[in-house]
Amino acid sequence: MFTNTLFLLSAAITLGGAFAVVYTQNLMHACIFLLASLFGVAGLYACIGADFLAAAQLVVYAGGVIILMLFAIMLTGGASNSINRYGLVKIAAMGNTKTFFAAGFTAIVTSLVLLKIIANVLKNQPNKVLAANEATVEKLGTLLATDHILAFEISSVLLLGALIGAAVISRPRKEKHD
Amino acid sequence: MNSTVVTYLSQSKELSAAIAWLSKTLGFDANSLVSFLVFAVVCLIVVGVMATIGGLGTYAERKISADLQMRMGPNRVGPYGILQFLADGVKMILKEDIIPSGADKFTFILAPIMCMVGVFATLAVVPFSSGFMLANLNVGIFYLVGMASLVGVGVFLGGYASNSKWSMLGGMRGASQIISYEIPSTLSIISIVILAGGLSMGTLIGGQGGLPHQWYILHNPFAFIGFFIFFIASLAETNRAPFDLPEAESELVSGYHTEYSGMRFGLFALAEYIEVFVVCGVAVALFLGGYNVPFDLGTGAIFTEKLGLDSMLSQNIGQLLELGSFFTKTLALYYVVIWVRWTLPRLRVDQLMTLCWKYLTPIALFNLLGCAVWMYAFDGKSIYSLIFETAATVGGSH
Repeated sequence: MFTNTLFLLSAAITLGGAFAVVYTQNLMHACIFLLASLFGVAGLYACIGADFLAAAQLVVYAGGVIILMLFAIMLTGGASNSINRYGLVKIAAMGNTKTFFAAGFTAIVTSLVLLKIIANVLKNQPNKVLAANEATVEKLGTLLATDHILAFEISSVLLLGALIGAAVISRPRKEKHD
Repeated sequence: MNSTVVTYLSQSKELSAAIAWLSKTLGFDANSLVSFLVFAVVCLIVVGVMATIGGLGTYAERKISADLQMRMGPNRVGPYGILQFLADGVKMILKEDIIPSGADKFTFILAPIMCMVGVFATLAVVPFSSGFMLANLNVGIFYLVGMASLVGVGVFLGGYASNSKWSMLGGMRGASQIISYEIPSTLSIISIVILAGGLSMGTLIGGQGGLPHQWYILHNPFAFIGFFIFFIASLAETNRAPFDLPEAESELVSGYHTEYSGMRFGLFALAEYIEVFVVCGVAVALFLGGYNVPFDLGTGAIFTEKLGLDSMLSQNIGQLLELGSFFTKTLALYYVVIWVRWTLPRLRVDQLMTLCWKYLTPIALFNLLGCAVWMYAFDGKSIYSLIFETAATVGGSH
């Protein structure tokens, strides 16, 4: 009963937050609803017993990514509402035929991929009983350091590259013109 | 499954009898229902006690600062002024709730709630004692770090939503301070996790003992330095002490909570005081032995052996001793936090960032490396066991 309640709550928060992100017209509010949605995803991870993953989701997303997105919005000044004085939402390229075709095509491709995945899952029919919760931290750590050491090291190189890239892009430039 | 307070209480015969009776009356297995009810009751107790501690923290701050400044502090409301925090609370509730007209209303209301939620969610894993920990999660300390970063989001949103210069500056400074100091704080925590071998609070505290030479702070010189790094970084995380530029009265009017009045401001302040308590509790758990009582009194086994008491009763006595140990150490650290605030001058924001990135983070990284090398070279033994073992072998162990 608790698993059901936890799952329904997490799924409701995830989907509700995601819907609100798309529906709202204020960029800051969209960030906050994204935070709520990511909380829901952490809850979903907790439902299936991935405890370390749920905590990592909280630390990385709720604590890191959302704050960075908020900072980026503030520092680039992109929080103004885009409603014109007639009350219609007027963003360039909305209502364009090209946009509708591209969006429709993307939707069809995404739904076909999803249907294929779900069909595979339903065909293999995993057993309906959820495994007992067990500690995943030690197993994850062992796997990361033995079987998947290459992915571990490559991701650390990627993070280093991102850090240095961000520092290079945002370094103060010397005044060339006067 | 993670062990929780319900696991501890289900050892008692009375609870099992109650569950059996309830199952018979209701017709279905009442185990999960009783678990839920026990959780709800313990949560209410913990939240109530912590809110009281938050309120008494304001009183303690005023009394201790008065003592440091050779004056009296509140002494009119109740004996020795101890009901002052209740009077402050009532005053705040009765104040007019002002929302600036240009403010983003949704975010304005959400910011103090987010601070409170971030702090109260960390209470689930604070190790009060081995039995009364709400949830001894496998990823306890990791979860705590994650939820503590929600406070940063709350500070930033509070600064942004107020639509005022002082608030915006204070909010941005506060959020950047919090996310910067998370790094040395988490690195110090990880160096202790390496020593203990697990992320759960039970493992971290179980690796220590009751007496000071068994604590992690005296385990090796890197952990010793790590304690001070963690303490300083936690002072900055909670916007306390010499790092309170985001809410500095003389610089920014009141920083990110300038525009908040009444209970909304009360929520910010209460979240800060409870967060200081939680952070002191984590420092005690990681470095100062947690709830361990000297001479193994916390398990209660000695009471069953020597005094012949019932097993559950002696365990409860042990839990009370553990609670006393934890609260003594945490409140001692709380006093140090208040003492530091009223002693040191405030850091400028660039000095703050320099301290974090140029000093604390490299030292914390060096500590992490040092702890890892220590674990490898000396097989995880503390400096005291190394000295005594060397002395024993030199003296001819028998």
